[in-house]
Amino acid sequence: MIQKRRVPIKGGYFSIPEDPLEPPRLLGSRCQRCGEHYFPRRAICARADCLSDDLVDVALGPEGTLYSFTFVHMPLFGSSNLEHMDGYGVGQIDLPEGPRVQLPLAGHKEDYFIGQRVIAELDKMREDGDTEVVIVRFRPTGDKK
Amino acid sequence: MRNVAVLGVGMYRFGMGDVPNAVMAREAGLAALRDANLSFRDVQAAYVGHIFAPVMSAVRVMKEFGLTGLPVQHVENASATGSAAFREACLQVASGRYDVVMALGFDKMTTMIQQTTQGTAPENMEDAILPAAFFALWATRRMHERGMKPEHLAKIAAKNWNNAALNPMAQRQTQEQMTPERVLRSRMVAWPLTTMMSCPMGDGAACAIVGSVDLARKLRPERPVVRVVASALQTEKYAPGHLFMGPVVGPAQMTIDTAAQAYNEAGIGPEDLDLVQVHDAFAIEELEYYELLGLCKPGEAEKCIDLGDFELHGRLPVSTDGGLIARGHPGGPTGLAQIWETTLQLRGEAGKRQVNGARVGLCHMMGGGSVCVIHILQRD
Repeated sequence: MIQKRRVPIKGGYFSIPEDPLEPPRLLGSRCQRCGEHYFPRRAICARADCLSDDLVDVALGPEGTLYSFTFVHMPLFGSSNLEHMDGYGVGQIDLPEGPRVQLPLAGHKEDYFIGQRVIAELDKMREDGDTEVVIVRFRPTGDKK
Repeated sequence: MRNVAVLGVGMYRFGMGDVPNAVMAREAGLAALRDANLSFRDVQAAYVGHIFAPVMSAVRVMKEFGLTGLPVQHVENASATGSAAFREACLQVASGRYDVVMALGFDKMTTMIQQTTQGTAPENMEDAILPAAFFALWATRRMHERGMKPEHLAKIAAKNWNNAALNPMAQRQTQEQMTPERVLRSRMVAWPLTTMMSCPMGDGAACAIVGSVDLARKLRPERPVVRVVASALQTEKYAPGHLFMGPVVGPAQMTIDTAAQAYNEAGIGPEDLDLVQVHDAFAIEELEYYELLGLCKPGEAEKCIDLGDFELHGRLPVSTDGGLIARGHPGGPTGLAQIWETTLQLRGEAGKRQVNGARVGLCHMMGGGSVCVIHILQRD
């Protein structure tokens, strides 16, 4: 089977590696003056005591630590692959570089606990002609910790 | 805040219906004018809040009252829209520019939902997650850190449903006493939040007219004057761990900082409050705001809930009109419904839900997790 070309639901938030086995990374910024990292990308450092405009693009993750999570049981706007019979997951993940991000989780509520190691993956939301529209989400790394 | 009093308040009952914005807004505004003993001719400026109505709706809706040429300004700050409109009206009176200013809020949230559900799939990153999820994330973290149980959230929600049953302007009117057990049995929205712990969709309008303290005395000499003694509005300050995408909850520090500013301006502390209204779109919010507003010590919210501290006749009643959960949360008018409730309470006109001897009330709203507005009202 030929892998369809994968395109992001919205450009500029996550990478789509050539190798389907390689995890995506989140596209963020680092302030060259104070060292703070941000997701998503921004042009000006948000720290009140910095506000530098010397920011560079960086790739963040793909692993992180689960700060909090829930499973949502209301229908999403329309239908998508994010829905499951037992709801779709949403997590807050602390990335090793600093930022806390809020993104969908794969799987089921029972798969998660606060403090868990999680890793980014791409999830197909729908097919659009010869392309697959994908979003980034997180899943457990499988490490017991 | 110098020399600002609430002259009159009015509401159009929150709920679901086919009534146009113009009609709801007109009825709320006329009720406030009657309450103030004023004619629309006396209104010198209007700050009008709506979130979901089309461009120019504020100016168009104001024509319902008559075309007097007054300045009309649309204000929008998500859920805090009505609170922000009220603040602008107060600032105008405090500055001395005007003596009588109307703050009006209206919305039909039901039409917004029809518009957004027409799409078949989320089109960008933030659409992929519903607002309920963000507050649920706050709740699961609280369960992890503080041992909160879903029962604590159910107790808050049941309290607010029962308060709303005493408020003729409330959207949710339960016939039988609401219990935490019934709240827990309602449909799960996002673990651990159920539908009865979450605010409903709705429509409605609310209005407050503000003016100088002298004018308040002159217009209604028989009535105690309700002063606006603090108005604080803050946006987020950056701190590590800040969430930039889907900022619905907002940093806890924003409520702490805005409350500190309001208490300082009023020259009081949380121990001086007699009743409080908060942005309880979801029950977990009310629990967190108990601590962030200083109504109890950090980490003691669960204990205080179990003691009934924030019940209608408890130590410090919160969400006396039913809150967003049960009075309703149409959007634009919500913050003004808090002013309506607090004003009636401080005058001793809140009927079956009257807090005995209430003298000082605080109103707290959040907008899109990115702005916090707090007003403190005090009876002379």
